[in-house]
Amino acid sequence: MRNISCSHSKGNKMNSKYNSVEDELEMATVRHRPEGLEQLEAQTQFTKKELQILYRGFKNECPSGIVNEETFKEIYSQFFPQGDASTYAHYLFNAFDTDHNGSVSFQDFVMGLSILLRGSIQEKLNWAFNLYDINKDGYITKEEMLDIMKAIYDMMGKYTYPVLKEETPKQHVEIFFQKMDKNKDGVVTIDEFIDCCQKEKNISKSMRHNMNCRGITNDSR
Amino acid sequence: MAAGVAAWLPFARAAAIGWMPVASAPMPAPPRDKRRTQDGLIILNVSGTKFQTWRNTLERYPDTLLGSTERDFFFNEETNEYFFDRDPDIFRHILNFYRTGKLHYPRHECISAYDEELSFFGIIPEIIGDCCYEEYKDRRRENAERLQDDADTENNNDGVLPDMTLRQTMWRAFENPHTSTLALVFYYVTGFFIAVSVIANVVETVPCGTSPGRVKDLPCGERYALAFFCLDTACVMIFTIEYLLRLIAAPSRYKFVRSVMSIIDVVAIMPYYIGLVMTDNEDVSGAFVTLRVFRVFRIFKFSRHSQGLRILGYTLKSCASELGFLLFSLTMAIIIFATVMFYAEKGSTASKFTSIPAAFWYTIVTMTTLGYGDMVPKTIAGKIFGSICSLSGVLVIALPVPVIVSNFSRIYHQNQRADKRKAQKASKEAGQALVSKTSSSFERQHHHLLHCLEKTTNHEFVDEQTYEMSCMEVSTVNQSGSRSSSISSQHGLTATCCSRRNKKTFRLPNSNMSGSRPGSVQELSTIQIRERPPLSNSRSSLNAKIEDTAQLNCDQPYVTAAIISIPTPPVTTPEEDTSQSPDYSQSNIVKVSAL
Repeated sequence: MRNISCSHSKGNKMNSKYNSVEDELEMATVRHRPEGLEQLEAQTQFTKKELQILYRGFKNECPSGIVNEETFKEIYSQFFPQGDASTYAHYLFNAFDTDHNGSVSFQDFVMGLSILLRGSIQEKLNWAFNLYDINKDGYITKEEMLDIMKAIYDMMGKYTYPVLKEETPKQHVEIFFQKMDKNKDGVVTIDEFIDCCQKEKNISKSMRHNMNCRGITNDSR
Repeated sequence: MAAGVAAWLPFARAAAIGWMPVASAPMPAPPRDKRRTQDGLIILNVSGTKFQTWRNTLERYPDTLLGSTERDFFFNEETNEYFFDRDPDIFRHILNFYRTGKLHYPRHECISAYDEELSFFGIIPEIIGDCCYEEYKDRRRENAERLQDDADTENNNDGVLPDMTLRQTMWRAFENPHTSTLALVFYYVTGFFIAVSVIANVVETVPCGTSPGRVKDLPCGERYALAFFCLDTACVMIFTIEYLLRLIAAPSRYKFVRSVMSIIDVVAIMPYYIGLVMTDNEDVSGAFVTLRVFRVFRIFKFSRHSQGLRILGYTLKSCASELGFLLFSLTMAIIIFATVMFYAEKGSTASKFTSIPAAFWYTIVTMTTLGYGDMVPKTIAGKIFGSICSLSGVLVIALPVPVIVSNFSRIYHQNQRADKRKAQKASKEAGQALVSKTSSSFERQHHHLLHCLEKTTNHEFVDEQTYEMSCMEVSTVNQSGSRSSSISSQHGLTATCCSRRNKKTFRLPNSNMSGSRPGSVQELSTIQIRERPPLSNSRSSLNAKIEDTAQLNCDQPYVTAAIISIPTPPVTTPEEDTSQSPDYSQSNIVKVSAL
């Protein structure tokens, strides 16, 4: 990732909310340019043309070349107008931000998308596990799962049928752990997770067919 | 939703893979996208200025010229570009609309030229962005008024159209006195007689010198009674003839009779006729004299002759609420001070402040700084409060007067602008409703995403109304209340389940039944209908009365309910039910018991 110093940049700050200390850091990293097209093509499963289309869409929304968590939350929340998508967006952001630097660059974005759209079932399940494992320690605990579940239910908002209750996420987590936690040790490891999901017909079917977006590149401009 | 965010929808949909391992139900099938053409650059040559854009950009709005096959009519094979013989400066804004989703109105452009371009390219002006919409509407209104004025003056300068009936000619003559000489003559004659009548009313009360054998001065009206009576008769005859002629000539007699001017006319001439009827009867002559007061309303007939009076009347009408409030606050102050003065002066002997209403007069005279001096306080307390009263009077009365004057102009313009904005908003929403239909593919995919979330959590999105009803149902069930409450909740449920059932059975795309949350939720429910017909039976079994709704949040992949009691079919059904629904509920009950 090449960081353009401010002498080269046009001096656009992403937002002016930062205080002066962070301003200097911000000035130094105000523009991100992704790796060349060939490198990205090698690293992901997209063709050059698809990458071009993806980048145009990405750049239009984030002219500075990176997405920070606030913008990410905003964008994601627009798709779920009835509920509060910010918590889930936070977890999603962490899942995309693989190098944990607090911002999602185009490279992170496109590598994540490549797994989600073009990856094998194993890779997709791996990604999902990574999403659920909040502290990235290789185990999904009940607390982590509960947090994720609450975040998902938050997205539904208040007006649902049937009415959402306090215990709904907990019960859902219980079901999940019953299914996944084979050795009943209170945590789900990656192997248990992948095993169980591959066995479960529903899940593997959904993963295989559902989001198989041939149309990903035709959707955007 | 902004068009820009649409670019992130594929990402959001891809991220939905995160829900799948925890989903309670299998995910719905994704919507089929029609095959898209290959993306490519399109060259648009507008009077020599070349614009280029992606084909997909233009196809975002398939209802416009550029987004549909209509542009093929402008394709130039030799140069392999689309040629439009239009204004390139305005075209720039139109193309930006495709790119950004927002249409802007450039202030320096002529409004009619801009409108022409918009209509050529098939873009409705209601989708102009908020930043430019007000300006656009203002300019448009000014233009329309200018055109209207032009048309009016043209109309007035026209000679009489040959095919106008006598009635239309007469009406035109009455409304626009400058159209013909006769009309002008009529206009001045009536004006003259109004003036004569008013002056006669005034003069007949002036004392005119004594007649022999009398001590007091007689008013002229009684001295020259016959002369004044003849004058009055003549004026009233002219007014009556005028009123009848207007009534005959009016295009809409009902509207004319209800109009303000006609009421003034009637009030002006009525006292004379009533007086004719009730002559020389001593009992009612007192009332008759009062009626003559109404003759002064003839002066309002001048407002037909004066534009200024009409505008003043209209302004007063539009400021009525402000004036009313001012009067109210003044009344409050008057009452307070009158009460205080009355009690302060109660003790003093021979006090003029005999009652609180009597003190009203003092308060008004003091607050408006008139100070007649017919009532003055004598006690010290009275004098103190009296001075406070006059000081506050200065503030209370003198201050609002310039404020009201400026209020007049401000409120007048504000009223215009508020009405304008309301009308603009209505037409804007109508326009946006049209536009939102065109981005259907995006909507479909968005709804599929929301649908996946519903499947993950085993809950449905509903609108506020249905949510509240289901809350009521939960609370009444948990209370296990009396028969009456259960009946009422049943009725409530009937409304809920029938409205929801209606949504499902009728499959209306624009269901207005529970219209509190328009837009995406409505469309969401319709998408549900289309994609889940086999599930609708089991889903609507939930609508039947449930003993324990907590059991709904259950572990099975499909949503079922352990129904313990089966309700009797609802006795009264809402009117929107068709004969279909009772059968439906019967089949539901059967199905439920099979569980």
